Amino acid sequence: MADIFESAKSVKTELNKQKYIASDEIATIVYLAQRLGKPLLAEGPAGVGKTELAKAIASATGRELIRLQCYEGLDESKALYEWEYSKQLLYTQLLRDKLNDTLGKAESLTEAADRLAKEEDVFFSERFLLMRPLLKAILSEKPTVLLIDEIDRADAEFEAFLLEVLSDFQVSVPELGTLAAKHKPFVVLTSNNTRELSEALKRRCLYLFIDYPTLQEELAVVHLKVPDLNPKLAQQAVEFVQRLRKADMRKSPSISETLDWANALVALNASQLDKDILEDTLSVLLKHEADLQKAKRQMLNPPQPKQRPSMDDLAKFSGN
Amino acid sequence: MESRILQLISALRASGVRVSLAESAEAFSAVDLMGIQDRESFRLSLRATLIKDAKDLPTFDKLFPLFFGSGTPPMMGGDPSDNMTPEEAQMWAEAMKQYTEQLRQRMDRLMNGEPLTKSELEALGQLVGLNQAENLQYQNWMTQRMMRALAFPEVQKALRELMEQLQQMGMNRERIDQIRQMVQQNLAAMQEQIRQFTGQRIAENMSERPRGENIDALMNRPFHALSDADKKLLQREVKRLAAALRTRIALRQKRMKSGQMDPKATIRANLKYHGVPMEIRHKDRIKKPKIVVICDVSTSMRFCSELMLSFLFALQGQVRKTHAFAFIDHLESISEDFTGSNADEAIASVLWRMPSGHYNTDLGWSLNDFQNEHMDTLNSGTTLLIVGDGRNNYNDPRLDIFSVMTRRATRTIWLNPEPDYMWNGDSDMMKYAPFCNNVLKVGNLRELVNAVDELMSNP
Repeated sequence: MADIFESAKSVKTELNKQKYIASDEIATIVYLAQRLGKPLLAEGPAGVGKTELAKAIASATGRELIRLQCYEGLDESKALYEWEYSKQLLYTQLLRDKLNDTLGKAESLTEAADRLAKEEDVFFSERFLLMRPLLKAILSEKPTVLLIDEIDRADAEFEAFLLEVLSDFQVSVPELGTLAAKHKPFVVLTSNNTRELSEALKRRCLYLFIDYPTLQEELAVVHLKVPDLNPKLAQQAVEFVQRLRKADMRKSPSISETLDWANALVALNASQLDKDILEDTLSVLLKHEADLQKAKRQMLNPPQPKQRPSMDDLAKFSGN
Repeated sequence: MESRILQLISALRASGVRVSLAESAEAFSAVDLMGIQDRESFRLSLRATLIKDAKDLPTFDKLFPLFFGSGTPPMMGGDPSDNMTPEEAQMWAEAMKQYTEQLRQRMDRLMNGEPLTKSELEALGQLVGLNQAENLQYQNWMTQRMMRALAFPEVQKALRELMEQLQQMGMNRERIDQIRQMVQQNLAAMQEQIRQFTGQRIAENMSERPRGENIDALMNRPFHALSDADKKLLQREVKRLAAALRTRIALRQKRMKSGQMDPKATIRANLKYHGVPMEIRHKDRIKKPKIVVICDVSTSMRFCSELMLSFLFALQGQVRKTHAFAFIDHLESISEDFTGSNADEAIASVLWRMPSGHYNTDLGWSLNDFQNEHMDTLNSGTTLLIVGDGRNNYNDPRLDIFSVMTRRATRTIWLNPEPDYMWNGDSDMMKYAPFCNNVLKVGNLRELVNAVDELMSNP
């Protein structure tokens, strides 16, 4: 376990230990992001392991992973902090007697006010700050990995708000003042590209595009995550999935679905990919009825290649 | 090295990738960190820092090798006559005699595997006008022109003949194959050398080109006076403007969210504070407009409509519902085309489906289509937006339908590229205008932006 990565190569081996197969591209960019102290923006189709990457980085460096899942309508009070007025109020109520004790001995109003001022910190302290993921990552005693998942789902305003946090790693809380990060967290943002992110946000990040893996990479992932699947079947299965991705599907199967499928094949004790097994398990891979039908048509009954007329047949028509 | 990276950055900018100063500075610190020994990690460090959009990745992948070339493939050396037997050498000399001096030189060169020198390449480039090329699309064409200037086709033909002749003269077949293969390889290598040279040169031209005309000037230029290149530039600009507009509109919608105070919700929300009203709740007003847009996509109006649609679909998040229709001589619903994320492609497909004819614009008939099939899209809260010049080619304007439509919609805005003193002749604008809440003249992009702002501001 390494607290920080020493080279691009060590990123690769460390992530590999966490059962995450990183290509050279991923390893290099992760290393760069760490050295430059920049957030990493990972984009790509759903289910290619963007979130998984953040988790792997966290466990490889032994840091805590703090996750902020974005959705439409996410705002500061859910992402950053909330001031607990009710708790503050409750404290005031319960401490009333004690307050009376303290203030009762005061001779004059000024003295009472001074005494109250001394105790002010009780009512304006981090005690009443309800920390949400962003603040937690910033104020954490130990360095953390902050995962801001599916940022493209959040509203544009939230993005603008993130800018301050991501560039300075500090937050201003009106009740307490500015809180600066003790340790800069390693920030990973993921996006499924459902909408375009703002230039300003992109400018502050390093960009990593993760596409569907190649045959070898995917095979390696399957070997690593589902070691029980026999190698020949794994090869067949991965080839099949890769073929599906090339076909025009409403939703192409992702790596996580390949893994689910591989697990299903192990559970069913399949020895080879035959028609029955495919029909039973295809729904693990494809989640749209139309896709299922299409795949069944295309893959189970591949169209017979049209027979070429042989040379003899042609000779008949050549006229001599 | 540094100037090379800077050239790459300006070439990227010239091909439409937005690279900010901060990003280029970061590219340098990334390169400092990763070193330049390993070409792959050098490439990745530039890519991760400069490119922030998946659709720009191909541009980078195309430009990078031009500036940091992978090196030309080596040519096979060796004079073929070196290891020929005396008879073979004689045959060779005999066969070569028939060609002109120039052609012979060229052929010798290919045989010996001498690559072109830098000055030769420069001269060739000058000859075919490489210095004027500022678009990578011309790379193959320029390569071909340079090959032709080198008399490549003739050389190839001559070589083929030569081989046949040698065979007839009784040279060993294996030997001929060997020579042929070598020549082929050298040919390919030379072609690649020229290709890389043209690519590099074009990319350099791109990076040196002065920054394009001020976008401000373009925004004020009337639509009909725009060249194709300008239009492309503006399309790009629309995206940026839409993003800026979106932020502004979203903010306005957020600020406007609080309407009247809602006592019931306030009491409920403040129960936890002992009934002390700490959080005031307001009744939500629905600020996002519903829009029905009817666009004239005939030749005269096409570009204006295109930009308007780009805007509308860039602002999807700020609109409750958009129904889009396009018409020339009849009406078609085009909302489905825009379900994907890319508005450019959607517009292209719509325009492909609805080719424009000659003087066949008929709004009246299109309104009839609308009445028959889509009247239900108009209801309270809907803004009806019409983009068109109202030139109906003397067809029936169908004011009856139009008046019903405007009454059903909350408000009607008409965007017309022509100023009101031109509403004559076959223009029915004078007849339609009284039914509209607002007729805006939209003759250039700036006016269009203002119109969009107006459209979104008072639902």
